[in-house]
Amino acid sequence: MRIERFSHQSAWRHVAPSAKGIFTLSGLCAAFLAASVAAAAGVALTFAFLTLAVARIAWRSYLLILAPALFFLVLSAFSIALSITWGESWRDVSLSFPAEQLKQATLVCTRSLACLCSLLFLPLTTPLGDLMALLRRLRTPELLIDIMVLGYRSLFVFAQVVSATRTAQIARLGYINTQRALRSLGILIAHTTLHLWQRAEQLHAAAQARSGEGPLRFADQTFPHAGRDGLIALLAGASLNIVVVIAG
Amino acid sequence: MHIMEGFLPAGHAIGWILVSAPVVAYGVYSLGKKVKKHPEYRMLLGVAAAFTFILSALKIPSVSGSSSHPTGTGFGALLFGPTAMAPIGLVVLLFQALLLAHGGITTLGANVFSMAIVGPFVAYGVFRLARMVRLPFGLAIFLATCSANLMTYLTTSAQLALAFPDPAGGFVASFVKFAAIFAFTQLPLAIIEGLLSVLIFNALARFNPQELRQMNLLQAPEAQP
Repeated sequence: MRIERFSHQSAWRHVAPSAKGIFTLSGLCAAFLAASVAAAAGVALTFAFLTLAVARIAWRSYLLILAPALFFLVLSAFSIALSITWGESWRDVSLSFPAEQLKQATLVCTRSLACLCSLLFLPLTTPLGDLMALLRRLRTPELLIDIMVLGYRSLFVFAQVVSATRTAQIARLGYINTQRALRSLGILIAHTTLHLWQRAEQLHAAAQARSGEGPLRFADQTFPHAGRDGLIALLAGASLNIVVVIAG
Repeated sequence: MHIMEGFLPAGHAIGWILVSAPVVAYGVYSLGKKVKKHPEYRMLLGVAAAFTFILSALKIPSVSGSSSHPTGTGFGALLFGPTAMAPIGLVVLLFQALLLAHGGITTLGANVFSMAIVGPFVAYGVFRLARMVRLPFGLAIFLATCSANLMTYLTTSAQLALAFPDPAGGFVASFVKFAAIFAFTQLPLAIIEGLLSVLIFNALARFNPQELRQMNLLQAPEAQP
């Protein structure tokens, strides 16, 4: 949830989400258009720089957010680079790292990093509430938006319930060994499930008490410069893609 | 087991979106009908999405000494049905991509297919089959959630193998390679998730058998006092 916290503090918080969405999509396009490692790395650096310098996100926090994804990226790249060949018997297996696959793994890894940096630019500068409002304007089915809105608002309630229960379980040595940890976790999830049902019933009763039976609607934030922001994002994104195509 | 943002080639990313979209669309349609009939279901779906997200962030002990997290797809499919899990899974995967940088937008179609479509349908099918042959409730839950986790991981391995076939051995060699590498974490994880689900459903059967009966998961004599 660190990402969501930063999005509210970002200097680009008040730039239209549609513009940031266009720019992120153009970054994803550029990452896929990049035919060389250098071009993909350029896209990654551009978005990392924008997120760190312009949107004013601390680099340490940025690296902390990137770290788990980078670990999976390295593991996945290793899987691509590795080649397995079988001999006549199934025991006769040889492992190698052919140059062609190493090259492919490096390009995929850099492209993935470029996509990740492009994607992170959006949630680090735009709160999820604004993104959901944007999805509503893009005519996403009402039910999906309702699930998102309710899910997002309930996240923090459940996170608190889970955290408080877990703290109480830890205090009673519930996680002292693997067996007790599994049992404690099972009870924690079961109790949270019951809490979920009760919470859903309470929410429904509260909505009915206010004659609310249709889709959930909230006042969305307005962005007076959305048109201008969108045009700038479109031009910047197109320029980035042209540069990437020329650079190869 | 998420495929990372930008990891799949563009053609594959688009292809998996096209494969997953009709199932998600059907899920939204059938849920819409259900919500019209039972308006209280709308709230339950929303909080279920939040719960699945929180569930996926909970760490569970792993045999290697490290920790991992449950997928929650099997558990969710048994509680809310496999068709409901496609839209819920889509929302959860979108939240994970945007709030945790886990998975991604370009790989959303592939991740939805493995985690929100294959996993839940396998869990539901295995559970119904196990109950049909009169296996005990706990064993049916274990088999359903364990096989959902395993099938999710095998589907992801197949998706990666299709995208990156081995130059010498083709798809099969690549599939074996991906499945073998991820087996170190995924096989113990599937067993642990199965055991964990049994503990959860046992606790639910003890404290709240009424809801489980309403969902046709539990028959009257199985409820514990």
